[in-house]
Amino acid sequence: MSNEKTPKTIKRFNKGFIVAHWVNAIAFFTLYISALPMYTEFFDWLYVVFGGPAGARLVHRIAAVAFMLPLFIMIIFDFKGFKNWMKNIFSWKKHDLMFFPQFLREFFGLKAKVPKQDFFNAGEKINSWLMIVTTLMLISSGLVMWFPAFFPSAVLWWAYPIHNIGLGLAVAVAVGHIYMSLVTARPSMRGITKGDVTEEYAKDHHGRWYDELQEEKQQRKQA
Amino acid sequence: MADYIKFVDVTKCDGCRACMVACKNWNDLPAQPEEFTGSIQSHNTLTANTWNVITYDEQVTANGNFEWLFRHKSCHHCGEAFCEKACPETAISHTKFGSVVVDADKCVGCGYCVNNCQFGVIQLATYVDDKGKEYRKAQKCDLCTGRLEEGLRPACVTSCHTNCLVYDEKEKVLAEAEKRLAKIKERFPNANIYNPPGIKGTTTVYLLADKPTVYGLPEDPKVALSQIVWKDYAQPLGKMMLGATTMAVIGAAISTAINKGKGEHEGGQDHE
Repeated sequence: MSNEKTPKTIKRFNKGFIVAHWVNAIAFFTLYISALPMYTEFFDWLYVVFGGPAGARLVHRIAAVAFMLPLFIMIIFDFKGFKNWMKNIFSWKKHDLMFFPQFLREFFGLKAKVPKQDFFNAGEKINSWLMIVTTLMLISSGLVMWFPAFFPSAVLWWAYPIHNIGLGLAVAVAVGHIYMSLVTARPSMRGITKGDVTEEYAKDHHGRWYDELQEEKQQRKQA
Repeated sequence: MADYIKFVDVTKCDGCRACMVACKNWNDLPAQPEEFTGSIQSHNTLTANTWNVITYDEQVTANGNFEWLFRHKSCHHCGEAFCEKACPETAISHTKFGSVVVDADKCVGCGYCVNNCQFGVIQLATYVDDKGKEYRKAQKCDLCTGRLEEGLRPACVTSCHTNCLVYDEKEKVLAEAEKRLAKIKERFPNANIYNPPGIKGTTTVYLLADKPTVYGLPEDPKVALSQIVWKDYAQPLGKMMLGATTMAVIGAAISTAINKGKGEHEGGQDHE
C-alpha cells in the first residue's frame, strides 16, 4: 500500500556532479559575502564578522581556491555527467528557442505550453553559459589581482573592472537560478541533493530526456 | 582663494636631502635604513613610510662629462587620480588644496590603489594594534594638507635651501616656470614642464631637465579606459543591476501568487 504512494524516481545526477555543484555554490556564496563590505559601504559591518578587512581577505582567498575546484571534481569523479552537460549546452534546437516565450508567461503565473525539453532545459543551458562566462571572468581577473607582480600594468588595470562586472553578472545569474529552483521547480532540488527526481517531474520538465530513457528501456526489454 | 601648487625645479636641486628629513620629521615617519646597493641615492624608491626620495640618475653629457639628474620624487597629486578612482572604499579624495589624501579610518588596506598608481607612489604600511594584530593602511605624501590648513607651506618646501621646491600661486609659479625653462634650454635641450594634461594636470608640477622617461615617468599619462569603464559604468550599473534583479524576483513572486490565487494552474507544479 505504501509502495503505491511513493512516487517512482529516476536517477539524474551522480555524486561527483552534486559535490561539484555544492562546492561551487558554497564557495561562491562565501566569496560574495567576504567581498560585499568592499563592494558597498552599506555592508561595512561584515568586516567585523570576519575580524577585520584582513580576515575577510583571507576567507576570500580560501574560498577562491575552492571556487576553482568544481570543474576538476566533475571531470575526475563524473566525466559522464560532465560530457552530458557539455553536449547539452552546445545543442540548440527549435524546442530550446521555443522555451523562452512560454517560460516568460509561466514565470509571471500565466498559462503556458512549454515544449518538451532536453536533460537540461533551455533556461538551464543559458544559466550554464552565463555561469561559465562569469566564472572565467572572476577567476582569471581574480588571479591577476592576487598575483599582480606577474602581470603588466595594463592587464592589471583591466582585472579590477572585469572582476567587478563579473560579480554583478554572476550575482544576477545566481539569484535567478536560486529563485527558479526554490520557487518554480521545487522538485528539481531533490535531483541536485539526493541525485534522483520523480518520474512525474522528469516527464513534465525534461520530456525529451524522459522519452529517451523510455526508449532505452524498451530497447533493453526487446534485447 | 587662488589655486596654489607645489613646484619642483629639478635643475636647482643639489641633492642635499633636507626635504626628505623634513618630511620624516613633520609626518613622524620611522627611518627606513636600506642596504648599500652601489648608488649614492639613499633609498631605492618611495615606501609607505618614505614619502619623498631624491633620485640620483647618472648621465653622460653631450661633451662626455658625468652629471647627476636629481629629482625630488613624491606624489604628483594628479587632477584625475588613479588611486582615487581605484579605491572601493572611497577612502581617497581631493582636498580644496588640490592635494590627494587618504582617509585612514576608511582605508581597509586592500591595495587596489597601489596597483593602480601610474607613478608607483602610494604604498601599504603595516601596523600592529593593541591586541598585536596586524593591519594595513595606504600611505603617501599628502602635500602636508594639515599644514596648508594652518596657512603654512609643505614641510619639504620650507626646508629647501636652493628654492628648488616652491609652494605658491599657480599662475605665478607656472609663468616663472616658463621663463626658467627658456633659460635652461641651452644646457638641457630636452627640458620640459611636467604637468600632464591627460590626467588634468597635477598639483605638484615639475620642471624636468630631461624627458620624463629618463626619470622613469610616463611620457603622457592618461586616465585609462579600464578606469572609466570601472568607475563610471561598471560600479553604478552593477549596483543598479543588483537592485533590478531583486525587484524582478519580488515582482515575479507577487505576480505568481496573485495568478495562482485565481486557480488557473493545474497540478500545483510549475515548469521551470
